[in-house]
Amino acid sequence: MYRLIALGVVVLGFLIFPIVAPHAEYELDVLFLMFLYGAMATSWNVLGGFTGQVSFGHAAFLGIGAYATALLAAAGWPLWATFPAGGLLAALYSLLIGPPAFRLRGPYFAIATIGIGEATRLIALNWSSLTGGASGVTLSAAPPVTVQYYVSLGICAATVGAAAWIKRSRFGYALAAVRSDPDAAETLGVNTTIAKTQALFISAFMLGVAGGAYAMHYLYVSPDSTFGFSTSISLVIMPIIGGIGTIFGPLLGAAIFTALREQLEANPFLAKYSLDLSVFGLLLCGIVLFEPRGLLGIFDRLIRRGASRTRKDSVRE
Amino acid sequence: MSRPEPILAGRGLTKRFGGLVAVRDVDLDVQAGEIFGLIGPNGAGKSTLFRLIAGIMRPSAGEVLFAGKRISGRPTSTICRLGVVATHQIVRPFKNLSVVDNVMVGAFFGRVPRPAQQRARELALEALETCGLRDRADTAASTLNLAGQKRLEIARALATDPDVLLLDEVLAGLNPTETDRTLELVRAINVSGVTIVIVEHNLRAIRGVCSRLAVLDEGRKIAEGSPDDVLRDPKVVEAYLGSAAHA
Ligand SMILES: Nc1ncnc2c1ncn2[C@@H]1O[C@H](COP(=O)(O)OP(=O)(O)OP(=O)(O)O)[C@@H](O)[C@H]1O
Ligand SMILES: [Mg+2]
Repeated sequence: MYRLIALGVVVLGFLIFPIVAPHAEYELDVLFLMFLYGAMATSWNVLGGFTGQVSFGHAAFLGIGAYATALLAAAGWPLWATFPAGGLLAALYSLLIGPPAFRLRGPYFAIATIGIGEATRLIALNWSSLTGGASGVTLSAAPPVTVQYYVSLGICAATVGAAAWIKRSRFGYALAAVRSDPDAAETLGVNTTIAKTQALFISAFMLGVAGGAYAMHYLYVSPDSTFGFSTSISLVIMPIIGGIGTIFGPLLGAAIFTALREQLEANPFLAKYSLDLSVFGLLLCGIVLFEPRGLLGIFDRLIRRGASRTRKDSVRE
Repeated sequence: MSRPEPILAGRGLTKRFGGLVAVRDVDLDVQAGEIFGLIGPNGAGKSTLFRLIAGIMRPSAGEVLFAGKRISGRPTSTICRLGVVATHQIVRPFKNLSVVDNVMVGAFFGRVPRPAQQRARELALEALETCGLRDRADTAASTLNLAGQKRLEIARALATDPDVLLLDEVLAGLNPTETDRTLELVRAINVSGVTIVIVEHNLRAIRGVCSRLAVLDEGRKIAEGSPDDVLRDPKVVEAYLGSAAHA
């Protein structure tokens, strides 16, 4: 209950922020990115976290959504209509790659997804009649910063809301069972292949929509920026830092990722030797080794320790 | 010999692993409502036979019939939804879920079509009540001891509302008190209308609970009949009791 109230207050704060501070362009821009990355991390988490199928190729879906928005907007579509179209295209693409990839398990699946991500990037690079090849696609005009802000906030809220609903639903039970033990899930009536395919479909749709917001913001999409391997990696890093398989973990991870990346890129030493991503690599190793539940897990420990200390104190009194 | 049509039947079931024949041309007839025992020395092929029935593995030859219809070749999840469900010899709880959530997976995806959240929880709690785990419903599945995890296996399978329940060594590793409690549970589930096929090494236990018994040895069925007849059969004594010697 307290959690819900706290959540409501935070959301309300974000809703009125542009009204209170209409000229805080920098802050609005940072928040825009946090929402966008929060939505992206949450999308990845539906497959990687809830279902336990870790993908290193999810940039493919972001890229499809981004290109769809860029190309359709250029063809005269209203911007709002390009978002669901991009989501749908990404989701349809997932139906093509899901069934063969899900024949593999664990690390083999993960390796296959690297191949899928790269293959998709190469398609975008070489199908130049559609995608403009290496030079990419440029959009003509971006909506005002506040509009972008609300679009991104809306996408993030919808994605997180959908994820939270899925987690508690019958379908969410299937995903949790698949993650924990696919063979046991199958003996209890869960068709694990269908469950995984559906999770990927939803994950791809969400990421495709987020890709639209990406294109709207940067006004430029290219194979390397949207389909790049480093994008896929950041999609893995954010949920793991925050707390894989949880609802708020990916949001937390995205916020930290966005804030920290800004600092790291501004650091001349790290930028000179392009070490900015390796900081995240180290962070990731630390989390995986010491607290696989991520920052949420660390908070949980601190709260428990705090609680047991106050209990001891009150016993002493 | 005119029997009613068996609820579960194996016809010429065979499973080869490379050169090894784990199950060899086995015929099986299980009548509705009975507790059917399956015994045999280690490596005789009992668990493999269960996997063939539950669809976890495909037979190299032969077929499985459920209520007269062929089920072999269909996915395990479909076979479960039709009403045949197996427990695992090595327990496989969903460790990151609570006890009741473990059982809800069975309730959600078993034979009751798409129950609502509330209904699934009720079904799960009922199954836990039957299996004596009601008071552990909200604890993590990983905190149960072996006896508890074995009962969780049964509760999960029971929540799918099966017609036929295959129990693979649910008594192994339990102390005498736990064994008696689990045997009572097996009888109670049977009385509630579930046909049971049970694999067991504990002959005293199985003799008390089964109406009929089949013996596997090196993949072959070497005897079948009432427990007393089967356990007196010289072939069985030779193959099984000879080595284990604890009848
Ligand atoms: N997946 C597999 N691949 C290869 N061989 C297997 C496989 N599963 C079982 N076997 C072999 O098949 C034979 C029968 O094994 P199974 O597990 O069915 O025996 P069991 O009667 O259940 O034995 P136990 O009483 O020890 O549980 C054994 O020799 C075993 O090694
Ligand atoms: Mg066995």
